[in-house]
Amino acid sequence: MPRFLKMPPQIVRLVLLTIAIVCLFFTARYFLTPPSFGQYGHYRANALQDIAAQRPFWAGKASCVECHTDHAQKLAKGDHKGLSCEACHGPGRQHVENPAEKLPKLNVSLCLRCHEFSPSRPKWMHQINVHNHYPGNVCTECHVPHQPSEVP
Amino acid sequence: MMNASLVTNVMEALPQIQGYVYPNEQTLHPLWSVLIVVYPYITGLVAGAFIMASLVRVFQVKALDPTYRLALLTALAFLLCAPLPLLFHLGHPERCFEIMLTPHFSSPMAMFGFVYAWYLMAVLLLELWFDYRRDFVQWSLTEPGYRGIIYRAFTLGVTDLSEPALRLDARMGRVISIVGIPSAFLLHGYVGFIFGSIKANPWWGNVLMPIIFILSAIVSGMALCVFVYMVLCWARRIAADIRCLDLMTTFLFYALVLDVSIEGLDWMHRLYSAEEGIDVLRSLASSKLFYTLLIGQACLGTMIPFLLLGATQLFRRRIKELNRRRAYFSSAVLILMGVLAMRWNVVIGGQLFSKSMRGFMSYKMEFAGSEGWLLSIALLVLPFAILIVLVRLFLAPELPTIENVVPGAKSRAKAQEAGH
Amino acid sequence: MSEQTTRRSVLKTLAGIAGGILAMPAAQTCKAAVQNKLANSPAPPGYDPFKHSWLIALDVDRCIGCGRCVEACIEENNVPESHFRTWIERYVITKPKAGSSEIRGETIVDSPDGGRNGFPEELVPKEDILKSFFVPKLCNLCQSSPCSQVCPVGATFQSPDGVVLVDKSYCIGCGFCVQACPYGCRFINPGTHTADKCSLCYHRITRGLKPACVELCPSQARIFGDLKNPVPDDPLQRFFNNNKVEGLKRNLGTEPRVAYSGLDEEVR
Repeated sequence: MPRFLKMPPQIVRLVLLTIAIVCLFFTARYFLTPPSFGQYGHYRANALQDIAAQRPFWAGKASCVECHTDHAQKLAKGDHKGLSCEACHGPGRQHVENPAEKLPKLNVSLCLRCHEFSPSRPKWMHQINVHNHYPGNVCTECHVPHQPSEVP
Repeated sequence: MMNASLVTNVMEALPQIQGYVYPNEQTLHPLWSVLIVVYPYITGLVAGAFIMASLVRVFQVKALDPTYRLALLTALAFLLCAPLPLLFHLGHPERCFEIMLTPHFSSPMAMFGFVYAWYLMAVLLLELWFDYRRDFVQWSLTEPGYRGIIYRAFTLGVTDLSEPALRLDARMGRVISIVGIPSAFLLHGYVGFIFGSIKANPWWGNVLMPIIFILSAIVSGMALCVFVYMVLCWARRIAADIRCLDLMTTFLFYALVLDVSIEGLDWMHRLYSAEEGIDVLRSLASSKLFYTLLIGQACLGTMIPFLLLGATQLFRRRIKELNRRRAYFSSAVLILMGVLAMRWNVVIGGQLFSKSMRGFMSYKMEFAGSEGWLLSIALLVLPFAILIVLVRLFLAPELPTIENVVPGAKSRAKAQEAGH
Repeated sequence: MSEQTTRRSVLKTLAGIAGGILAMPAAQTCKAAVQNKLANSPAPPGYDPFKHSWLIALDVDRCIGCGRCVEACIEENNVPESHFRTWIERYVITKPKAGSSEIRGETIVDSPDGGRNGFPEELVPKEDILKSFFVPKLCNLCQSSPCSQVCPVGATFQSPDGVVLVDKSYCIGCGFCVQACPYGCRFINPGTHTADKCSLCYHRITRGLKPACVELCPSQARIFGDLKNPVPDDPLQRFFNNNKVEGLKRNLGTEPRVAYSGLDEEVR
């Protein structure tokens, strides 16, 4: 009987209990750690795919330009060239997937959203004071949104 | 387009803010609310009660013997309740095991699972087992019914009561106490580190935070031991040993002195170095936290006990025993409330101002609900309920102890009983 | 008696270990079955995160405070009410009192509902304003992000392509990351009870689209690009070539990668 194994009974019981608990812990860990964890770093690598799987809401200007090239060309010549179509026309996904479904008509109060004067807006921005600038008229009577530099 | 009446309704339901706060900070309740106040309070009490018990084992302070087992059982009762506030707070408590499966070692919070398990099993339960082992063996033979079964289970099948076995028990108890002191510091210190490591929040992110947490934990745990001991003796209609009380409160006083010094140092340093955001913090301390910090924590929870305990230290011979007992009890209660106020001031206080340093938030505490008063009070009362059960099982005066069956001890025991 | 107990218990332990080794193949099959239940993601179409490095930059001088970006983000990502993945702050700095030696009066900051409907209300009469500007805010894509440092389980992380993301099927909702972020860009989603934040529209950029806020911004205040794959006349390269830039709260050591041009010292 090797001498080092002659441990007092309390110690033996405690050591066995400890080994049992530790084994249980590692077994649980083996089964329950999610797959792909730790592949790229301390996270579930599959999370990248999960997050990327979300469905986009806005179609993006490129989708509009695919069909509406004439409007896009006109837009590219004026000050509104940096705008995305959906910024004014609203979400276009439905229309891209089913071109028969047209987008709703626009309300001209949309123009004021950007162009109404505010002292916080930068100086390069063309701003108007609604009360002074042809009150009672609709913006599109004089301005062409796709080619804002052209004033009839 | 926004509906005008909808806007009005939403505005009324919005939380009250002053100045500018980041939009995501405009929540109805603080993110870490009263449950996260209760959690460090509970682990602090555990650490402090354990330190008190260790004074007996490690530093051989014999006069504290009557409170040794009570202190350990108190620590156990509170430790068992410690994970509850966290589980109630988590957004997904069913995923709590992830902290043990994939702990992120750069996060102090990840330590929780392991430190808690280590402290519960390898320190507290083990020390209790070694101290109670011979009593378990005795009681498993003499006690009837379900209690006998409980005691037999706790013996873990080891019935050796020989002299070498008992000497080993005593030695193991001392070893575990020594190991247990840094473990207790770790159990509570990591919480202080959680707050101290948040550099984004100037109220929290501070090098002294873990140390302040540990020191106030020790103070609160010792006060809890005094409180529980006096209440238990009152419940059993016996006089609490005055020498034991004198000594416990001596330790309590010096712990309080240390705690006050370090917290004072923290304040002085902040005010002197006046880093960015000091105006916001000063305004926070003097207006939003006026009642809980200046009145509750500083005045009632620290200054008054400091004076009371200091007086009993300086003028011990001149103060009557009854008055000393009154002073000890009231100091213990005030300190317990003061340390709870301190946790509140740290946790909630840190969420009352915006990280933009330009504004303040106000919160209303709800009564029922997962972050409400009712749950917090229940979580603070539950450990006492568990303690009552533990005392019934393990500290009942009727239970015979090994001393009673050793020749000569019976007469001493009889004399003690006659004295009650 | 104690000798027999010791020997028996040692043999028992050895038998247990041997049994464990023999059971490994069965355990592996079993593990795959269990983990199939835990895993839940579809396979991706050929996107390699190591081949990209996304960045967004902000030109404060171009922001007109229209709030279209905030609305776009809310629609794109179903952001819950009163929470924001991105928002606009308006800074109004008033003129100093006549005769004083101050360089400015007071600074008033506001963000009504994150700026999602623009800023219809003027807080200060025009004559009193020294200067005023809008600052868009979002996740700063920190190189040394404190949020991923403090996550206890590994639910928030920096992806190989430079975006700080939240794995909402793994997050336990402890809120540590929300407390640790100095920029206030994280929140706990009241619907999913997990942490939530700007994901740089990861689901869009991995498909070659732009983030929603960049797409809808009418004034090119938000500039987006891939540092590893610049396009001809890349707007991001142009931005860095032409502007002096700054990151927010650099003193905290988070190394924010999002670069601002045109910031004032009053911006926090």
